[in-house]
Amino acid sequence: MIYLDNSATTFPKPLSVVQAMNEATRYFGANPGRGGYALAIRASEEMYKSRRVLAEFFNTQSEENVVFTLNCTQAINMVLKGFLKSGDHVVVSCLEHNAVMRPLKVLESKGISYTVADIVPYNNDETMNNFRKAINIHTKLFVCTHASNVLGYRMPIERLTAMAHQYGIMMLVDAAQSAGVFSIDILDSGIDFLCGAGHKGLYGTMGVGFLITDKSELLETIIEGGTGSNSISFEQPNIMPDKFESGTPNLAGVVALRYGVQFVKSKETERIYNHEFNLINSLYNNLSKNPKIRLYTPPLEYGKIAPVLSFNINGYDSETVAEILSKNNIAVRAGLHCAPLAHKFIETEKTGTVRISPSVFTTQKEIMYLERVISKI
Amino acid sequence: MSKSLIMVTNITQAMKGKSILLRNGIRADIVRTPNRSEMHSCGYSIYVPYKTDEAEKILNQYGVKIIGRTERVGGDDLS
Repeated sequence: MIYLDNSATTFPKPLSVVQAMNEATRYFGANPGRGGYALAIRASEEMYKSRRVLAEFFNTQSEENVVFTLNCTQAINMVLKGFLKSGDHVVVSCLEHNAVMRPLKVLESKGISYTVADIVPYNNDETMNNFRKAINIHTKLFVCTHASNVLGYRMPIERLTAMAHQYGIMMLVDAAQSAGVFSIDILDSGIDFLCGAGHKGLYGTMGVGFLITDKSELLETIIEGGTGSNSISFEQPNIMPDKFESGTPNLAGVVALRYGVQFVKSKETERIYNHEFNLINSLYNNLSKNPKIRLYTPPLEYGKIAPVLSFNINGYDSETVAEILSKNNIAVRAGLHCAPLAHKFIETEKTGTVRISPSVFTTQKEIMYLERVISKI
Repeated sequence: MSKSLIMVTNITQAMKGKSILLRNGIRADIVRTPNRSEMHSCGYSIYVPYKTDEAEKILNQYGVKIIGRTERVGGDDLS
C-alpha cells in the first residue's frame, strides 16, 4: 500500500518509535509521578526526558512549560476554554481546523466572539493587514494554524505574534501540521501557546499531543484530578506541568514521541521538508498539465507551503476519487478534512477535495505511481 | 541527623533538580517525601546525603522550586 495520508497521521513510524513503545510497556510501565519504587522513578525519568527533548526542540525556556495532552485538539481546548472570558474576542485565520472552530462555537454561547481573517496566499503583508483589521478593543487572542491541513499555506506566525503583542493580544499557534516540517522557536518568536500533535510530523504514536506555554498562570484548568502531588488538598495544584496533567499519562506514547522527535532531529527538519516539498511539487507540476484536474493553490513556492496538496477531478466526487485510489492501494483522505472553514475559502465546502500528504518515507516512485493512476481516471 | 531531603513541588522539579546536581558533581537521588504533615502529602524530594546545603544553594540558583528540608528516615544509600 502507498500511504499518502500523513497529514492525518504519519505511517509507518520509525522503528525506534515502535521499539520505544514496546520497551516502555514491557520494561518500565509503572505509573509515573506516583510511586517511590525504582520502576515508578524510572517511568518518571522517562517522562522527564521527553519533556526536556520537546523543550529543547521548540526552544522553550524550561521543561516545565511542556504539558503532555491527549492530542492537539485537547491542547487547543485547554487554551481557548482556560483563557477566554465572557466579552472577549478572538481573531482566527480562515484556514482553522474544527479543533479551533468547534470550541469557539461553544464559547460563543458564553459571550465570546470571534472574527475570521482571510489569508492572502503568498502575501504575508496582506494577510497581516486582514488580521489587523479584525482586531477590536475586546480582542484577547489570535489563533492561527502554522500550516493549513488542506492547502498547506504557511502562516507568518512570527510576524502575527509580534503584531498580537503590540496590541496586548496573546498568540495561540496550532502546529499540528507544521511541527517536524517547519522549525518553531518559541523563545525567538514569542508564541504564547504552542499546541501540537505528537503523531504527525513528529512521528510519535497516536494519543499524545502537547501544549507548551510559559503563561500557565493565565489559564484556568478545564480538567482537574489526581496529579500525584500534594494529594491532601482538593485544590488543583498550580505548579507546572501538574496543573494541566491530571490523571495517568500515556507514558509509552510520551516516550515514543521523544524517539520520534529524535528521529526528526537526526533527519533534520529542513531536509525532511525539502524531500516532501519536492515530491509534492513534482506532483503539482504533473497534475497541472491534466485539464481534468482542478488544483487549489498557485504554483508551489518553496518554504511558503507545507507538503500538502488538495485537488479534484472534474466530474468526480472527491470521495469517489479516494475510493478509486484505495482500490489501487493508495491511501489518501477526501472530504473536508475537519476544516470546513478552509474549504469555504476555496469554495469546496460542498465537494471537498482529495488530499495528498507525503512523509519522510514516501518515495518519488510512489508519487509517480499515484500520477499514473490519477491519469487513468 | 542532618536534613538531607530537599523537598520540591513535584516530580518534574525533582527530576530537574537531580539532573542539575549530577551535572554539578553532587550525588543525589529521588525519593518520596515522608508523610509527616499535611503540608508534605504525596510529594517528592531530592535526597542529598552529602553537601546538602551546597546542593540547596545550587538548586535555588537554577530556579528549582524547593518547599523545604526534612530528615531522611532509613539508610543513607544512593542508587
